[in-house]
Amino acid sequence: MTVMTHSEALVEAIRECMDEDPNVALVWGSLMGVGGNNDHVQHIKTDFADRIFHPPISEAAIAAIATGAAMDGVRTIFPMGTASFMFRAWDQIIHEAGAAHYMSNGAVSVPAVFHVVHGLRGGGSVQHSQSPQSMLWNAPGIEIAMPSCPADAKGLMRTAIKSNNPTVFIDHQKLNKRSGEVPDGPYDIPFGVADVKREGKDVTIVAASLQVVHALEAAEALAENGIEPEIVDLRSLVPLDEGAILRSVGKTGRLLVVDEAPPRCSVASEIVATVAEKGMDLLKTPPVRLNRMPVHVPANVALEDFVGPNTDRIIEVVKQLCD
Amino acid sequence: MADKERFLDIFRHMILIRRFEEAVFDFHEQKLFGGHYHLYIGQEATGAAVMASLGDNDRIFSTHRNHGHLIARGVDPKNALAEILNRADGTNGGRGGTFHLADASVGMPHTSALVGGAVPLAAGAGFAAKLQKSGGIGVSMFGDGCFEEGVVFETLNLARMWELPVIFVCENNTPGAVLKSAGGNNTSNLPEGRVMQIPQALGMECHEVDGGDADAVDLLFADCAARVRETGQPVFIEALTERWPGNYFSFPSMVTGVTRVSMAWDGGSISGEYEDWFREHDPVLRFARQLIVGGVATFGDIAGIDVEVTETIEAAKEFALSSPLPGTDSVHSHVLAGEG
Repeated sequence: MTVMTHSEALVEAIRECMDEDPNVALVWGSLMGVGGNNDHVQHIKTDFADRIFHPPISEAAIAAIATGAAMDGVRTIFPMGTASFMFRAWDQIIHEAGAAHYMSNGAVSVPAVFHVVHGLRGGGSVQHSQSPQSMLWNAPGIEIAMPSCPADAKGLMRTAIKSNNPTVFIDHQKLNKRSGEVPDGPYDIPFGVADVKREGKDVTIVAASLQVVHALEAAEALAENGIEPEIVDLRSLVPLDEGAILRSVGKTGRLLVVDEAPPRCSVASEIVATVAEKGMDLLKTPPVRLNRMPVHVPANVALEDFVGPNTDRIIEVVKQLCD
Repeated sequence: MADKERFLDIFRHMILIRRFEEAVFDFHEQKLFGGHYHLYIGQEATGAAVMASLGDNDRIFSTHRNHGHLIARGVDPKNALAEILNRADGTNGGRGGTFHLADASVGMPHTSALVGGAVPLAAGAGFAAKLQKSGGIGVSMFGDGCFEEGVVFETLNLARMWELPVIFVCENNTPGAVLKSAGGNNTSNLPEGRVMQIPQALGMECHEVDGGDADAVDLLFADCAARVRETGQPVFIEALTERWPGNYFSFPSMVTGVTRVSMAWDGGSISGEYEDWFREHDPVLRFARQLIVGGVATFGDIAGIDVEVTETIEAAKEFALSSPLPGTDSVHSHVLAGEG
């Protein structure tokens, strides 16, 4: 095990995959914000110079170039920066990357990775705080990964790069600098396998990305009050591990879903609907969604915190749910 | 005209496209497929001549007006017609339709019907060719209307910056069109009616050519393709093609009738409202005349090719009409790779 940041874990995964496969290319961008004194960054810069492409601000064309290249087996990693920017390339990701396999009746595949950073970042304001996961989930043909910790980030990124599908890899600005233990050497974490980040018996909290961190913090406080939440980290939305969610709800009988997308047609809505359809009899109480409020994100950080889900609000909602 | 076989091959593809598109029109008139569609009539010279210089490692990305590009590239008309009827034996298994005819086995993996969509995808093929050192190039076939979309500018800039081996072939079919401002349909809205100034401003090698002249397109494109393979630098070609009068309307209309190739040598038989089209512009007739005057082919050769091609299309129509519709259980397959 080595302790490293979320971003460093991603860079390690990218470096390993570029080592392993000469068909992996990288659009440089800021490379997850990891500085030049990182060994992996140095290695990528010097050893793979012919596979690195420095981008102009042209999200749409680069997303489509990655898509067209993927059709010939080049696996391009395109860090797009703030998730808000991916709307510039919505057409290319949804209509070209996401549709090519279907439209060709399976003859063509698009192994490209679109990496974005979503969520309330502390002053991102309206146009730099988007959480596009639920909108993306409405588009067939795209895999969606959302890690919550460095160890998962590395294993999921390796899977994203090796996947034959277009993957939107959604990170969170507030996760990037968080550290955690990462197993040494290469390992893949398959999509569609949720991880129980904390065992509990009283309530199931389903979350992904930064909200898993918030849920874990909330669980510490709740445990002191005699409530033991079980935390299910989805890790990927597509494919979705329905079994893990239903198993946990079967154990606790209560469900809270925490999600940074606004509530209507959100990730939380989809999880609650899935449990209602397939596990209504497992629930002792009505399920609860905790989303970002259905408003734009104000620049003022106090207001930003107010509109989003956070540790305190999770504690409050769980107490009501278990009352 | 040095290379007789090459010219006859280009001509064969041109008349094959024409007969194919006449069949598509016929199918639509019979309501055998629904919705909007676009014909390549009037642009055959560009598509057929471009494909003559492309090989197995090259990738071509086309648009909503794609039929001619696929036929010129060598896709079997049977499967292409079946796709237009959305049948199981279609190039895309019936799920692409007229807008999305594509065939990865001939290097046309994906056809975007979104204006400008094909342009960056072809640059992506150039990106892959550069990385894999395949010796191939990416080719984007697209219309002048694409310059109304911002992604096209982004792509031209990127192709220059990243030095991608791509040829952008803009088939400008606005000449002769009735502009929207004058009550016409389906043409671009560009202040100059021209597009080449835009890549020129980015310092890209640019050429213009008479897109209705198969010989001229072939000569230029063969030269450009060889250079792009060697230098890895992008090239832009604006092929100016006179708009087929059947494209004046929102839906294609066969105002010029089923083409009689004899008009190439029997000028006396040409008359009526579209006389100018037949004498000056129809690229199939123009190339037939060039072949005859150049001593490449006789009247009989031209007529013979037409008979042969017409039979091919008749067989393709029968094949397409007898191909089954895909079953409803198929809709779930191939949403994601690896799921069957």
